[in-house]
Amino acid sequence: MNADLVLFWVPAAIAVFSTALVITRKNASRALVYLVISLLAVAVVFFVLGAPFAAALEVVVYAGAIVVLFLFVVMMLNLGRSSVLREGGWLRPNMWVLPGILAFVLLIVMFHVFAGTQAKTAGTEVPPSAVGRALFGPYLLAVELAGFLLLAALVGAYHLGRRYLEERRAVVEGTGEGVDAGGDGGR
Amino acid sequence: MAEAVEDAVDEHHHLPADLATHFGEHCVAQPCVDGIPTVWVPKEKLRDVLRYLKHDAPARFELMFDLSAIDERTRQRRDGQPDSEFTVFYHLMSLSGDDDIRVKVALADGESVDSIESVYPVANWYEREAFDMFGIRFDGHSNLRRILTPALWEGHPLRKEHPARATEMDPFKMTPEFQKAQQEALRFVPEEWGMSRSGKHTDFMFLNLGPNHPSVHGVFRIALQLDGEVIVQAVPDIGYHHRAQEKMAERQSWHTYIPYTDRVDYLGGVMNNLPYVLNVEKLAGIDVPERAQVIRVMLSECFRIASHLLFYGTFAQDVGQMSPVFYMFADRERLFSIIEAITGGRMHPSWFRIGGVTSDLPDGWDTMVRDFCDYMPARLDHYEKMAMRNKILKRRTQGIGAYNTEEGLDWGITGSSLRATGHDWDLRKKRPYSMYDQFDFEVPIAQAGDCYARCEVRVAEIRQSLRILRQCVDNMPSGPVKSDHRLTTPPRKERTMQDIETLIHHFLNVSWGPVIPPGESVTTVEATKGWNSYYSISDGGTMAYRTRIRTPSFPALQQIPLISRGFMVADLIAIVASIDFVMADVDR
Amino acid sequence: MLFGWEVNWSYVLILPLAAGTLLAVMFLQWWERRLLGWLQDRRGPNRVGWFGVLQGVADGIKFLTKDDWVPPFGDRVFFVAAPVIVCASMLFVLAVIPFAPSFHIVDVNIALLWFLAMSSLAVYGVLLGGFASNNKYALLGSLRAAAQMVTYEVFMGLSIMGVVIHAGSFSLVEIVGAQEQLWFIVPQFLGFVIFLIAGLAESHRLPFDLPEAEHELAAGFHTEYSGMKFAFLMCGEYVAVIATCCFIVLLFFGGWLVPDFLGFLEPLVGEQFAGLFWFGLKVLFFIHFFVLLRAAIPRPRYDQLMSLGWKILLPLTLVNLLVTGFLVAWARWGL
Repeated sequence: MNADLVLFWVPAAIAVFSTALVITRKNASRALVYLVISLLAVAVVFFVLGAPFAAALEVVVYAGAIVVLFLFVVMMLNLGRSSVLREGGWLRPNMWVLPGILAFVLLIVMFHVFAGTQAKTAGTEVPPSAVGRALFGPYLLAVELAGFLLLAALVGAYHLGRRYLEERRAVVEGTGEGVDAGGDGGR
Repeated sequence: MAEAVEDAVDEHHHLPADLATHFGEHCVAQPCVDGIPTVWVPKEKLRDVLRYLKHDAPARFELMFDLSAIDERTRQRRDGQPDSEFTVFYHLMSLSGDDDIRVKVALADGESVDSIESVYPVANWYEREAFDMFGIRFDGHSNLRRILTPALWEGHPLRKEHPARATEMDPFKMTPEFQKAQQEALRFVPEEWGMSRSGKHTDFMFLNLGPNHPSVHGVFRIALQLDGEVIVQAVPDIGYHHRAQEKMAERQSWHTYIPYTDRVDYLGGVMNNLPYVLNVEKLAGIDVPERAQVIRVMLSECFRIASHLLFYGTFAQDVGQMSPVFYMFADRERLFSIIEAITGGRMHPSWFRIGGVTSDLPDGWDTMVRDFCDYMPARLDHYEKMAMRNKILKRRTQGIGAYNTEEGLDWGITGSSLRATGHDWDLRKKRPYSMYDQFDFEVPIAQAGDCYARCEVRVAEIRQSLRILRQCVDNMPSGPVKSDHRLTTPPRKERTMQDIETLIHHFLNVSWGPVIPPGESVTTVEATKGWNSYYSISDGGTMAYRTRIRTPSFPALQQIPLISRGFMVADLIAIVASIDFVMADVDR
Repeated sequence: MLFGWEVNWSYVLILPLAAGTLLAVMFLQWWERRLLGWLQDRRGPNRVGWFGVLQGVADGIKFLTKDDWVPPFGDRVFFVAAPVIVCASMLFVLAVIPFAPSFHIVDVNIALLWFLAMSSLAVYGVLLGGFASNNKYALLGSLRAAAQMVTYEVFMGLSIMGVVIHAGSFSLVEIVGAQEQLWFIVPQFLGFVIFLIAGLAESHRLPFDLPEAEHELAAGFHTEYSGMKFAFLMCGEYVAVIATCCFIVLLFFGGWLVPDFLGFLEPLVGEQFAGLFWFGLKVLFFIHFFVLLRAAIPRPRYDQLMSLGWKILLPLTLVNLLVTGFLVAWARWGL
């Protein structure tokens, strides 16, 4: 077994293992940290397979931004012991057996499909410029569509955020009665 | 009774006559040394009288300057006053009519009185304080609970039967149960303050800002109800710095109480001595020599500059600017070296005396002060460029924590903070004391009433104080620095050793302290942080029967919830920084 | 050999470089305090050693001997891991920095992205540290940190794309090489300003130290930290400053290159060290600039910082990117 294969299999195993932990952890913040580790491992796999640009983006975008926001939300909600118990409830066999079987079937199909093709081993490196050419060449339409989708999401987020701000303003201005030194009697 | 009112009218002022036409049959006037019309009102009529005075009187009394109580049970000399065990007094001020009135209500022990919170909102904390200190209940008060002493304190400190010294009590023991109970009593329960734990879409976060927090300028706690970082409601909690200054005044001679006053506003130094000694001099009828008066003005203005510089520096620091505070501390150091050369002390010189000042100025004082007056303006220009004109600082403070003059008066705001709302009332101009009318200076004002304006006014006041300092150097009168009056303490020594009469007199005045004639008087000065007044009652003894210290910081903190609602935590820090308070001044 | 990238003797540099950086941090924090003291009319640390140079050693001893306290009410694992993440991710950045033409650990062709990736991982340290402390100030601080750093990473990434367009590569060696004629500060001035601001925000230093803002949040995300763990967090901050300054120099100020008119100085430092010397000099200049900023500028409010980012810096970076792209394309292919 040569060094390249070790460099592939070790992170790949870490990715699979930590992904399993993401699913089985009851504590949301722990699960998210395993997700980060999984993403980092996948990034190493990308790197070994000759796609350093994809590897870097995996870290910058997924690990560095998206999961940060997940963690951010988990912290904001300050999930306590009750949510851990609830998560524990979801891990009972009757909750996961059926989806597990379905996923397993899909996995078999996928293996069957891939079995016929020759695996592309590492060796050729894809430079960032090639990625750029691909995105703005053959895949231009997909890029534009993704752009539209993100724009729609942005507008939607703005709309929701503005409504929240208005509601908060109402809350802030509405509280005053029955609070010490807040009695508006003299104003 | 009506005749008595008219007597008071003749003697003092026209307003009680006006009051007499409306409430004449109920009122009793009381002559006071300070000449402020003092009217006893039956407790049923209290709210009506105050409402009339605030809204309908010819000179509207917009400002409830002070409210507290007197335990009269052991007082001997109260001729002509209605029977009372506990007297609640209300000191109202009319800035539009430049007038004062003191309203008193007589109560028996255990009797309650109507809360006037609905007339003067600022009364909320003052009534809580009176309840805390005397156990007087105020009917209709929205939240009558202890404010200065801990929730589990036993007794009410300013009642005469409450011990004043540790030697009068059993030794204190801190048992684990006691500590646990005290800590439990400090737990913030939002429901007690009318707050809910969650809103429509959000769970609120409750944050204890203080009592130990870098930006609350001492031991001050604000319990915050936060939505994200936005303040929904704030509850200031004070009392961590309470030292029962008013109780101590009842156990110290008139003279030996002076050092205690220094510690009330610990940045004000001798500025705290000033209202106290002026007041005692008023009671004793002492005329202070001109030189002493000008020396007092000079040192008071030195402390005004020192206090404002510290305010300026910490203001910039609290919005995150690191450097100015260091420069300003260095400047304060120069000022303190002048103060040290003159008084021997630095922050708490306790240098004013009843009837004058401790000693004459040392040789070379004038060059020191003159050098400082030459040095300081350039530094102020530098700070102006560095801090006040900085765009980030402006963004952080402009439009934050604003209130107008009317709101300010409603909440008892005085001094520079009130002048930041465009109101030009400066006691040094409007009611000159200690020869302030002889000085040429301006009263800086700003219009916006926000954090930035409050700082702007104080910065301008530093320049005006420098002007006054220079005039003091240029025109220092000659003559004695102590009055010849027999109650001057300590008396002038030159003739002491000449004959037995003056020796005995000196001995008594120094060992027992002066006997101040019975009477009541209040004196208010424009202190560093606003209007500071001492209301002293003498029962003809060597100690005050009651001393009431009204400080500007106390009501200012009460206003915090109002001006910080809807802003962010960072804004609250800017607001707290702009108020210019020290907790010793709040809790006393 | 891995995909043709140089794997050579420079790997032996890892240890000395990491140790050297930590040593530099030790002196940097002393020097910063001295400098601030000088600027602020006071003395600063001047007791330990000659002019106080050994202050860092004294502090280190104190950090080491302090009680290694973990809040019993917090999350032990995250609490311990957070300082390591902060410090390690910043040290990793140094791996790709070419200090001189052939003085670097690795020269990958995505070095720039590596920097972005590592600084985005540093967020985890701050976020987890605050979260694990189970303290409200720490929580507020780490929420601020997360929002601030994620936001400013966007502009940081976009602001250096102009440089990438000019150089046509993500490799730092090639980027410096492309500045032989003209430092990128000239064509990419806007990019430089935005990168500087974003760098300040990323390393959360004073004008943008909202996650720690001692006047508002006591000590922000590291309120509960003490001893060596605190030392690690602080170390991470200083390494971040050094790394940011290195990147400013590499991307906009020609790295180890020096204008011809200063070439006469080269014999003084010795030819083989000239690159290192110039690079170090420039980095030092920017470190001092960071310190001066800390002494001079107040802190904006959290929402003001965010709106500065989204409403001003984002459009500016996009315009910068468009104009640069257009100009480069024009120069290369004509209209």
